[in-house]
Amino acid sequence: MSLKPLRTTLVAASVLAAALALAACGSGGIGGGGSENVSTVTVTGKPSGELVISNWPLYIDKQTVPDFEKATGIKVKYIEDVNDNAEFFGKMQPLLAQGQSGGRSLFVVTDWMAAKMHELGYLQNLDKSAIPNVEKNLVPQLRHPSFDPNRDFSVPWQSGMTGLIVRTDLAPEIHSICDLFNPKYKGKVDMLTEMRDTVPLVMKSGCNGNPPVDLSHATEQDWLNAIDEIKQAAESGQIRRFTGNDYARDLTSGDVDAVIGWSGDAVQLQADNPNIKFVMPKEGCMLWSDNMVIPVGAPNPTAAEAWMNYVYDPKHQAQIEDYVNYVSPVQGTKQVLLKMDPSVANNQLIFPSASFTKNCDVAPTLTGAEEQKVTQAFNAVVNG
Amino acid sequence: MTSVRRRLVPYFLLGPGIIWLILFFAVPMYFMARLSLYSGTVFQGNLQFDWHWANFKDSLDLYHSQFVRSFIYAGAATLIALVISYPLAYAIAFKGGRWKNAMLLAVVAPFFTTYLIRTIAWETILSDQSPVVKVLTDVGLATNGHVLATAGAVIAGITYNFLPFMVLPLYASLERIDPALIEAGRDLYGSPAAVFRKVTLPLSAPGLVAGTLLTFIPAAGDYVNAFFLGAPNNQMIGNVIQDLYLKQTDYPAAAALSFILMALIMVVFVVYIRFAGSEALMGEEARP
Repeated sequence: MSLKPLRTTLVAASVLAAALALAACGSGGIGGGGSENVSTVTVTGKPSGELVISNWPLYIDKQTVPDFEKATGIKVKYIEDVNDNAEFFGKMQPLLAQGQSGGRSLFVVTDWMAAKMHELGYLQNLDKSAIPNVEKNLVPQLRHPSFDPNRDFSVPWQSGMTGLIVRTDLAPEIHSICDLFNPKYKGKVDMLTEMRDTVPLVMKSGCNGNPPVDLSHATEQDWLNAIDEIKQAAESGQIRRFTGNDYARDLTSGDVDAVIGWSGDAVQLQADNPNIKFVMPKEGCMLWSDNMVIPVGAPNPTAAEAWMNYVYDPKHQAQIEDYVNYVSPVQGTKQVLLKMDPSVANNQLIFPSASFTKNCDVAPTLTGAEEQKVTQAFNAVVNG
Repeated sequence: MTSVRRRLVPYFLLGPGIIWLILFFAVPMYFMARLSLYSGTVFQGNLQFDWHWANFKDSLDLYHSQFVRSFIYAGAATLIALVISYPLAYAIAFKGGRWKNAMLLAVVAPFFTTYLIRTIAWETILSDQSPVVKVLTDVGLATNGHVLATAGAVIAGITYNFLPFMVLPLYASLERIDPALIEAGRDLYGSPAAVFRKVTLPLSAPGLVAGTLLTFIPAAGDYVNAFFLGAPNNQMIGNVIQDLYLKQTDYPAAAALSFILMALIMVVFVVYIRFAGSEALMGEEARP
């Protein structure tokens, strides 16, 4: 008896069955509910239980979590798995689309990503009655950002400035973004892979003979023109690499003279090597915030809001600020630090004066087809 | 056992393997093929299935230079790995003696560290201030003290990371050669070079084919080396796919590019097997 027809049928049948079975239970949902039916957190009773937080690395000191656990009795699992907004989104999106958060009750993402997630219906609105410290202490300039005018779903964790970080021993004359295009520094500059930092800086600096762009009225063509400038610099070898935080390695080893970088990193790099300094570009810097948000499906939003309230107490914020060295969104922190650690309190990068940041801007928002086109153009440059 | 049951035993034995292949290869392939016909991105919230065949053409138009670059880098790395590995495998197989196992361990030892760390270590080795680069500049192999962020650095990284994949198959087939055959060749007045060409090389052909394929195929899709050791204009197709998937959440384009990459590698594979299997490459077919 020949088994060949039987074998073929068996194989074909099992392939078909398996495919159908998995197709039936595969996920099809991509978007969430949309922003019309966003749920709001209802804080119930005293905060307790377990709290899982996802944050960027090196964004908190070692004492705050144990202190919080002792003060509230909540057990905190603090994970540092946010390295890049888009990559974190890529990781979380399949869960969030199903209304789950992978166990997290709170995570921290930059402004534009918070806006995007809210748009896709992945975030919950906050119960403001449970976060009185935020209402009281949030600095005025962060109270009404364009992406969340009433601070319904986001609370700033830290702010920062994007500007130039320079090896002043190797290249003392760099004071402007346009200096990065100077052939004198060919192959000795890095730019950020973060599109909303790099491109607006180039736009508003008006390099290579192009007029400076007013960011509040930036058009898609302005973005594409700036991306083209960067593309030429990348192709000619002017730009050594596009990096995330890893520009720190290039700066310390001296492989580059200057990078576009973040202010908090500059404070930490300077402590190790006094020649590495944050230089405020002549044309101004970019201002941004990373925000605490509560996702859909958060298992313990009550504890998450307790955390938000806790870190907005100036005393606790001062402890965090002393280590993190970014720009604090909590009013009153400077006063506490003047007594605790005056060098931090008087550091222009941590408590910048209004005149220091007078030319600084927030990145313009992109939406829809415009965002798609600009992102694709920029990523084509970064990927050669 | 009845005659029918006995005939079915092989299928039962194959069962787990087939189920594994279906669940973890055939089904994901089906989903990815379906995904490559979607349009839109997750960010835009407009991902939908609409027989969007244009994905294939558009991606190829945008990223064809990365494809070419990937195959050139992978090819160069394979060749360099072959040149380094063949003498090494030969020495271990024929001259190793007591030290065979220790030498094999030395070849494999770097693999105890993760791939990522090994590549990052190369960033330090090849950094502009390192003694290695200074020596290379003096010798004239590097231009103006700048090795990192060039194609050379990426190819060097790929060669290093895939070297054991070339050494081990070569060693395995060289080791299996009966020394009596080589002796016989010499007895028949063959010079060492002729014996090598007519006896050793053909008999090691299986290991050669296996080693080159095991090196080339993963190297063509690699992205780690280009990410750490390359400049923006050294990025490979693996980087593009990673970026499209993770950063731009453009799943359809990423899926389309993956299929194109698979198809191209299949073509290279089929052509290579036919060529490597032909008599023309090895002279007379060597029969033990």
